[in-house]
Amino acid sequence: MKNNLHLLFLIAVIVFFYSACVKDTDFDQTDDIVLETVLELDFIFFDINSQNFTDLGVNNTIISDTTNLDFLGSEAASENIIRVDFYFRNTNSFPVSLESQYQFLNDNNEIKYELTIPIQDGNINNPVVTEFTEIIENNDLIDFMMATKVVVNTIANTSLNNIDGNLDLQSKATYYLRLEQ
Amino acid sequence: MKYLLYCIFFFWGSSLFSQNKEVLYGLDETPQALLLNPGTRISNAFHIGIPLMSHFHFNGGSSGISAYDIFQKSSVDINTRIRNKISELDGRDFFTATQQLDILNFGWKNKQEFYFSGGVYQEFDFIFYFPKDLALLAWEGNSDYIGKKFDLGELNTRGDLLMVYHLGATKRWSKKLTIGARAKIYSSLLSFSSTDNSGTFETRISESGNNIYEHIINSNLSLNTSGIASLSDLEDSSQATNKILNRAFFSGNLGLGIDLGATYEINEKLTASASFIDLGAIFHSKDVESYTINGEYTLDGIDLLFPPLGTSDTAPPYYDDLIDEIEEAFEIDTLYNSYSQLRPLKTYTSLKYNFGRPVGGDEGCDCLNMGENQKYNQSAGLQLFNVFRPRGLQFAATLFYYRKISDYLTFKTTYTVDSYSYNNIGLGLVSNIKMVNFYIIANNLQWYSNFAKAKSVSLQMGLNIIIDENK
Repeated sequence: MKNNLHLLFLIAVIVFFYSACVKDTDFDQTDDIVLETVLELDFIFFDINSQNFTDLGVNNTIISDTTNLDFLGSEAASENIIRVDFYFRNTNSFPVSLESQYQFLNDNNEIKYELTIPIQDGNINNPVVTEFTEIIENNDLIDFMMATKVVVNTIANTSLNNIDGNLDLQSKATYYLRLEQ
Repeated sequence: MKYLLYCIFFFWGSSLFSQNKEVLYGLDETPQALLLNPGTRISNAFHIGIPLMSHFHFNGGSSGISAYDIFQKSSVDINTRIRNKISELDGRDFFTATQQLDILNFGWKNKQEFYFSGGVYQEFDFIFYFPKDLALLAWEGNSDYIGKKFDLGELNTRGDLLMVYHLGATKRWSKKLTIGARAKIYSSLLSFSSTDNSGTFETRISESGNNIYEHIINSNLSLNTSGIASLSDLEDSSQATNKILNRAFFSGNLGLGIDLGATYEINEKLTASASFIDLGAIFHSKDVESYTINGEYTLDGIDLLFPPLGTSDTAPPYYDDLIDEIEEAFEIDTLYNSYSQLRPLKTYTSLKYNFGRPVGGDEGCDCLNMGENQKYNQSAGLQLFNVFRPRGLQFAATLFYYRKISDYLTFKTTYTVDSYSYNNIGLGLVSNIKMVNFYIIANNLQWYSNFAKAKSVSLQMGLNIIIDENK
């Protein structure tokens, strides 16, 4: 009789071990997991003086440069970036106001997004800082993400020949990413 | 992806215990106790484990999180819970999975009273330390962490799949002292480790003044693998499985190790024991590939130069040059040098107090054999456990109560405390019905009504044939 009780005890414990359960959980919530990340990265920078303009002609008032931004056109970027904020800080010591144009082009050189930044004139002793923020989202973002390069045009209102000063650009981009299943 | 997450969370638990078999240790009714202390005082004349069934052990765990923490039904968004957990965990937290399967286990006592035991078992052991900084960077980005150095050295993981061939001897040298040793040959089937990393990623306000920020990465990362590189050339998983299995018979990377243990019966009531398990190393020389990335780079954006170009000229390849510079700075070096790897050394120590009804003789009391030979049907005591892990010692302390209910039923219950969990209750049952020895052990019983809340899952069971000395 005692042995039977012991056997019963053994069986009961084994059954207990195997009856462990998982409850009050919902593993389907994995579908709701969303990674929302905000990355800040430097964008482009430059420091130009009047020589950059006059190298192309004494009265030249526009200079351009281009760089690829291949990552923008990638599938991973276009699927996961939901907003991009650009911040531009222009420090101008030319006594002349300027304008910066940013043309984001695709591989066929079609403009997918464009922005223009007016830059206040300054002077050599008191450079003037002009800050500019551009937020790109929704439909604008769809077009923007098709770009693979950016053309930067810097335009002076008058000739900079023999004018002291420089234009210093610092910029950053804030990428808002949303990764989900 | 979803099922992968299921698996990860199912196997989550407190990994301090992943190598700790606190219930099985000192449970002398099972021959497998010899694998935790070759100096166990064993009363068998012979045992043989049922092949593939004599010992199965699985444990999965994490030091700081349970499946319930993340997947509980709650009005709080799951992403908020994950974010909260990331902030709670730190670089010392880890996830582990350990599994052992006895292929063969046998033992016998010779005329000189040596108890020899040997066999073969397969083991899988994995540990992954939680890289908190990288998790934070992935989950939240760097925007709110300007000036913070994200620690790449938190990357720390190790995994081993191996076969262990072992032969040990146990001898009761005197009425007080039983000592034993076990020699082991390890045959590594697969191995990887990345445990010696350093480096940082930082976004800080520019000191050079070139741009707004400077993104500084310096890395000193390495990953050692053996037995893995050749698998990537195979066409399908069955070929890979066959290749891995072929290594089981001493054709993998071999290693040597030893277990040492002793039991000292201080007096009739008090018994002390200690053991060192897996004091050894594996020497990886076949199919070895190691990868290192050592580099430093400061990114501050794309510097436009506005060169005086004609209409037919193209701009300098700023972006491509930048990518090339980064790739050059963080070039992956592949090495094929042999390396050795210490096995995770485990130590057990125990002190127990024996009490209750004397057992051992035909009538309960082994009355012709009193003194240190006397056994009692109950004992209680303290066990300490250490395992050497890549980030140092992990420690656990266990209080236990043992009771031999009858000749064929014994149980041991444990209460284990470690740095992360203060309430792990374990229970083991051993039945000896005629020559058939069966045991089942589990821990974290307090969570059995809802395992999702457990930080670890552990189960051990086995079946042996035992011939007792008295028979």
